[in-house]
Amino acid sequence: MSGPSIQCQQLGLSLGGVEILSGIDITIPAAEIHCVIGPNGGGKTSFVRSLLGQMPHSGKVEISWQAASTQNTIGYVPQFLDFDKSLPISVYDFMAMICNHKRPAFAGFSRGKRELTELALERVGLSGKSKTQLGSLSGGERQRMLFAQALIPQPELLILDEPMTSLDNRGEEIFLSLIEELRSQGVTIVWIAHDLQQVRDLAATISCINRTLVYAGPPQPFLDSDEAAKLFRFTRPHADTAPLSELASTGSAQ
Amino acid sequence: MTDFYEWVRTSLQALAQQGTLPQAFEYSFVINALLCALLIGPLLGGVGTMVVAKRMAFFSQSIGNAAMTGVAIGVMLGESYTEPYISMFCFCILFALLLNYTKGRTQLSSDTLIGVFLSVSLAVGASLLLFVSAKVNTHILEAVLFGSVLTVSNTDMNVLLVVTCVVLALGIPLFNNMLLASLNPSLARARKIRVELMEYIFVLMITLLTVACLKIVGAVLVEALLLIPAAAARNVITSLRGFVILSMIISTVSCIAGVLIPMQFDLPLPSGGAIIMVAASFFVITTIMRAVLPAYRTAKN
Repeated sequence: MSGPSIQCQQLGLSLGGVEILSGIDITIPAAEIHCVIGPNGGGKTSFVRSLLGQMPHSGKVEISWQAASTQNTIGYVPQFLDFDKSLPISVYDFMAMICNHKRPAFAGFSRGKRELTELALERVGLSGKSKTQLGSLSGGERQRMLFAQALIPQPELLILDEPMTSLDNRGEEIFLSLIEELRSQGVTIVWIAHDLQQVRDLAATISCINRTLVYAGPPQPFLDSDEAAKLFRFTRPHADTAPLSELASTGSAQ
Repeated sequence: MTDFYEWVRTSLQALAQQGTLPQAFEYSFVINALLCALLIGPLLGGVGTMVVAKRMAFFSQSIGNAAMTGVAIGVMLGESYTEPYISMFCFCILFALLLNYTKGRTQLSSDTLIGVFLSVSLAVGASLLLFVSAKVNTHILEAVLFGSVLTVSNTDMNVLLVVTCVVLALGIPLFNNMLLASLNPSLARARKIRVELMEYIFVLMITLLTVACLKIVGAVLVEALLLIPAAAARNVITSLRGFVILSMIISTVSCIAGVLIPMQFDLPLPSGGAIIMVAASFFVITTIMRAVLPAYRTAKN
């Protein structure tokens, strides 16, 4: 299996008369990890939602699926799940809602879906939480559940919208190893990230977006540049002794 | 279907005359009302869980109010004042679609917009109903507002049966999609669910259900029967399956008890009022359970 490559030409987005994105030209290579970085409010989430076809963007977004692929499956891990926390929906219920074709989630799993769900929950380290209500999960556990749903069915293109925001160290380890594993299986991964050390370690290519395209290409040259230091407000000399992730300005994306 | 209804009525009346069933079953209108209750109970209970999960309780209230306007328009246009279904369905569907269309195109929060529509529908409905009240029997208006088992006819039962089939045909296969579309629209879209279409289908289901239940529960109270059984179930349940099943049971028991209790004890209560009071007693019980039993204790916000 090999995931698709993505080409954006002159991608632009205006909402309510405000220009969110303009003139973005990026090529995201197939079967690689591509990180989207940029300051808060720079339009990262709007960019990936444009890739998903969920925004009234201008310009062209072309996802070139590989010829052998028939499903064209996109996995998506949103930033968070906004819901009434007192709702009696368990992890199994949520996964059944995602996996089942027509069978309502309250009637249980369709044939074969329970096994798939158990496997996905095991991969994200949530095996023992299947009957826990969503409202009782911690933020990190909920994020892991969202990653599990993106694994069913196995995606060819995986889009991660700041998945590490509420994760603890163990959660981060699980996510990073899963991302690496999926990449080795040929999945194309587009990942909005704010930990620049993780970006440096894992990304084949990056794009830095701040309303317009600031940079696109391999991570090293940009992350070592003064422009990146200025944009993320870290001092380059200190970068030799302290991890960039501790120095970079972090926070939630728009 | 008329022959089937007649067969059910005759059979149950025979059993009542033999003393096997309570005396109330000797009256055909009681049997009509019970047949309707057996349909709307599970249906409203099941759909109510989605109304609660999607936070759309106010929406169904505004549809109930719009139905009053629909009745008044029907009477003004010369429809039968006991069964003005064409006007009710047409007006309520238009109202619901307009509300949903507007919701997607304003910056207003959902509850503010529904509040505006709810007030307008109540104002127009009340004004038009008063205007036409001289032309019709006042009891008919009471039946529309608060429900009445006395007025349930074969036509009402047929309408309810058709609506039940439509709601089941839409609601069961699309349950997951409709719920996911409200939990996280972005995730739903990424999974190729047409979120806007799901919203329209859901409001259409609620509208059809509301109009079809008017004769039994009444325009003012139909929203309560969508809401209270689901709220009562949510107090004590931790899984989606339990939530739906318990809500359906509470709703069905409330409908049957609400129809039978006033008959049995000669109480001058409208069926809608009685049904909601029974449902409310379930809510009180589960709320007390939630507050008192250690198993339900949770951290305070």
